[in-house]
Amino acid sequence: MMNTAIGAPSRALLSTPSDREFRLERFFHAKRERVWKALTEPELLAQWWGRGNRLVIERFEFERGGHWRFVEHSEHGVHGFEGRYREIVPLERIVSSFEWDGMPAHVLIQTLTLEQLADGRTKLVSTSLFHTVAERDGMMKSGMEGGANQSYEALDRVLSTLG
Amino acid sequence: MLNYMVQCSAELDNAFAALSDQTRRGILEQLGRGQASISDLAARFEMTLTGIKKHVSVLEGAGLLTTEKVGRVRSCKLGPRRLQEESAWIHAYQQMLAERLDHLEAFLERTKGDE
Repeated sequence: MMNTAIGAPSRALLSTPSDREFRLERFFHAKRERVWKALTEPELLAQWWGRGNRLVIERFEFERGGHWRFVEHSEHGVHGFEGRYREIVPLERIVSSFEWDGMPAHVLIQTLTLEQLADGRTKLVSTSLFHTVAERDGMMKSGMEGGANQSYEALDRVLSTLG
Repeated sequence: MLNYMVQCSAELDNAFAALSDQTRRGILEQLGRGQASISDLAARFEMTLTGIKKHVSVLEGAGLLTTEKVGRVRSCKLGPRRLQEESAWIHAYQQMLAERLDHLEAFLERTKGDE
């Protein structure tokens, strides 16, 4: 188990609960209902999921076994992502598969859970489970030490200015 | 700070662009087993030298491989980060997820009071 707490007070926590998983915690200044809507209503999803790129939601069958397919259009190219929903518990939990067109059949399982905190904030926990040894090694080699930490630090700085 | 994020994002896009091609993924896989010259790669992937050089330069631009000229031979090996295909993908995935949550947070801030 490795924990990397970032910033003080910490708003992002990255850890590896097992050698094929990594877990990211975030706290949002919003009630859980609002976070859930942002995660599950296509017109809201389209406003943030693309990371600033134009997002086309080609498929969004939000139910167990349903397919989703989101496509980002940026000046650097077009990137499609897709998967199927394994489990949906309203306001609490979404489990789905996740694949990028560029790495076909390298499937991750993503679990998102939301928790309403007493102070009005919402805690989001994202867990990503990999399947191959090569992916696991990749995560250990590149993710924990190098760029990911730097980008979480940068992210934390950005978030602290958002207050 | 903004520049840093833009830079992260540009790196990520480069990695995506580099990995979105089957030949380039094959080149990384090949170099994972040891270094190779441009002409080795051209023979292995049945391409012209010019064609292979284009792919190599995209990978080099994304930091996924480096080249070195020894005599008349240009030799390629995995880049300083020694990211192989899966490593690069997982690395990109982690950055991407952090970026998405960043954008989710910004969205929630921006739409405060809309309820």
